[in-house]
Amino acid sequence: MTDSNSLHFDRRKLLKAAALTPFAGLALSGCGAKPSDSAAANKTVTVTSYGGSYNDQLTQTILDPFAKQTGIQPTLLANTSLAALKAQVQSGDVQWDLVEITAPEYETAVAEGLLEKFDYDIISDKGLPGYAKAEYGIKYLSFLFVMAWDQKVISDAQAPKDWAQFFDQDKYNTKRSVYNQLSDSSVLEAALLADGVPFDKIYPLDVDRALRVLGHHPGKDRLLYHAANQEPIQQLTSGEVSLSTSFNNRINAARTDGAKLNFSAENAVLAGDYFVVPKGAKNKEAAFKLMNFMSNDAEAGAAFDKVTNLTLANTPALSKLPKEIADTLPTSPRLADKILVRDDKWWSENLKKTEQQFKLWQAS
Amino acid sequence: MTAATLTVRPQGRRAPGEGNPKARRRLSGWWLLLAPILVFDVILFLTPLGKLVASSFADNAYQRVLEDPLVLRSLANTLSISLASTIVTVVLGYVIALVLWRAGNIARVVLFAVVLLPFWTGILVKNFAWAVLLQDNGIVNAFLQGIGLTSAPIELLHNRFAVIVGLVHCLLPYAVFPIFSSLTAIDDRLGLAARSLGAREGSVFRRITLPLSAPGISAAGLLVFIISTGFFITPVVMGGPGDMMIANQIDYYARQLTDFSGAAALAVVLTVMVSIMVAVYQRVLKAGGQHEDN
Repeated sequence: MTDSNSLHFDRRKLLKAAALTPFAGLALSGCGAKPSDSAAANKTVTVTSYGGSYNDQLTQTILDPFAKQTGIQPTLLANTSLAALKAQVQSGDVQWDLVEITAPEYETAVAEGLLEKFDYDIISDKGLPGYAKAEYGIKYLSFLFVMAWDQKVISDAQAPKDWAQFFDQDKYNTKRSVYNQLSDSSVLEAALLADGVPFDKIYPLDVDRALRVLGHHPGKDRLLYHAANQEPIQQLTSGEVSLSTSFNNRINAARTDGAKLNFSAENAVLAGDYFVVPKGAKNKEAAFKLMNFMSNDAEAGAAFDKVTNLTLANTPALSKLPKEIADTLPTSPRLADKILVRDDKWWSENLKKTEQQFKLWQAS
Repeated sequence: MTAATLTVRPQGRRAPGEGNPKARRRLSGWWLLLAPILVFDVILFLTPLGKLVASSFADNAYQRVLEDPLVLRSLANTLSISLASTIVTVVLGYVIALVLWRAGNIARVVLFAVVLLPFWTGILVKNFAWAVLLQDNGIVNAFLQGIGLTSAPIELLHNRFAVIVGLVHCLLPYAVFPIFSSLTAIDDRLGLAARSLGAREGSVFRRITLPLSAPGISAAGLLVFIISTGFFITPVVMGGPGDMMIANQIDYYARQLTDFSGAAALAVVLTVMVSIMVAVYQRVLKAGGQHEDN
């Protein structure tokens, strides 16, 4: 109590000081950030992807070994999006160095001039398969859009063999969840396959026909939509639906975690994602070095393929894989005539129009 | 809102600070107290808002979005969902406020907790909880089938009904508190006087309670309506594709189409639309209030 006088400030001075505090904070944050940036450039690399089980697998098989080998420290974020990339490039404050986007998004980003040209002096293209190398990116990943089911309700023996059965309301009196982001979802292709269109006649896509098929079979009220890749896993395991579209690696990851789900790779749709570097990225060189590692390091590539069941664009890795694993990969020759290859060119030219039409159909 | 609550001030009671010359003594340097909020507003609100409005005029954005049938549909959805939710919320909120007003001390504390608990819970948690309750194999459907009322699950989720349920649950506290505060401002003696002159409960409510709490109802309606026009996650979690509201459309323009000027134009359209409705509403409210005074 004796010290109480020393705590007795002039109240007005205190108020004034308090009122001015935000200015002080502002002044401090305004300077100081910049100089350290250039010194640290290319010692780190910020990578963005879609999150969930996939990000853990990417870190474990690619990013950690890369950090060990080069000393460059990668940071992996889960919120990749073309919109955020565009906002960063337009504002001139680019936070991301290596960004995962879908194939149609790649075309859009190139057309809008948002990307850095890939430097194939840093990235050796020796390990890249023919489909993967592009001017402003690498189509680094191939995956399968598949039909998946809840084994608690539908046994593997009774599971749908093709999309016609998948959508057949008489065979399965249940709701189906389908992925509604067309830049990445092949639900319209699935509808046409269900209607008997052969693989080589799917493109150019007859959108009206696909929507007609979905509208009759299974009918709009029997369709649920999901907008994120982890959603169908939750919908299937909670019993909300017993059939869903998904991606092969998501179902595999859920199975590893003990979920009673399964999928069929036959009649799947093969699609891919790109890694790109936003224009003005601060650690461009480090990003290219990571791409070089990812495309050419056989050990890391094989580990990735094994853990994810996806194909990394890294040919040396394939020779390191045991046959039983190589056979389950999306790009396996064993599957080649049983799956549809998504036409990125058609989608990049027609995405906006088709998405609009699909949304209107959903809403009507 | 303040204007509305001020009009319910009971006669004979002084508002704090009113008519007290000492409290109005000028404090030198008072404007400095405004500095934090000014800095906050200018830097974090007005500047970005200005940039947003400026960017909305690029590339013919207004024409582009207003010709989009999906936009028109989600504007219509926004108005009808908000209006329906507002009516349901205000009616339910009024009933709760009446009970709160008349409840004893312990019951009042319990009821307040019941009203405030959802207020303190995250909207995602609330919406997903409803989704669990309302889905085909959820508790509600299981109960309905258990008592033999329905034989198959009825559609309770992913439709307009579910969106309104989700909205009302989030909005209820915003209706209860303005109405409750206008009810507590009513002089109890008015009711006593009416009853002593032979008025029945129904006519006490109709001729005293309801008119004197009307400003609270108006304030609640306005607040709830404005908040509900901006809902984003509830239509995603609980609605079907036909229930998308304008915030979902803005998200679609920004994230899927990466059409930032279009998204900005939509945001401006929504802001202007709501501002006009608020202005009209307040005029109507004022006119109504003056009419009553005469």
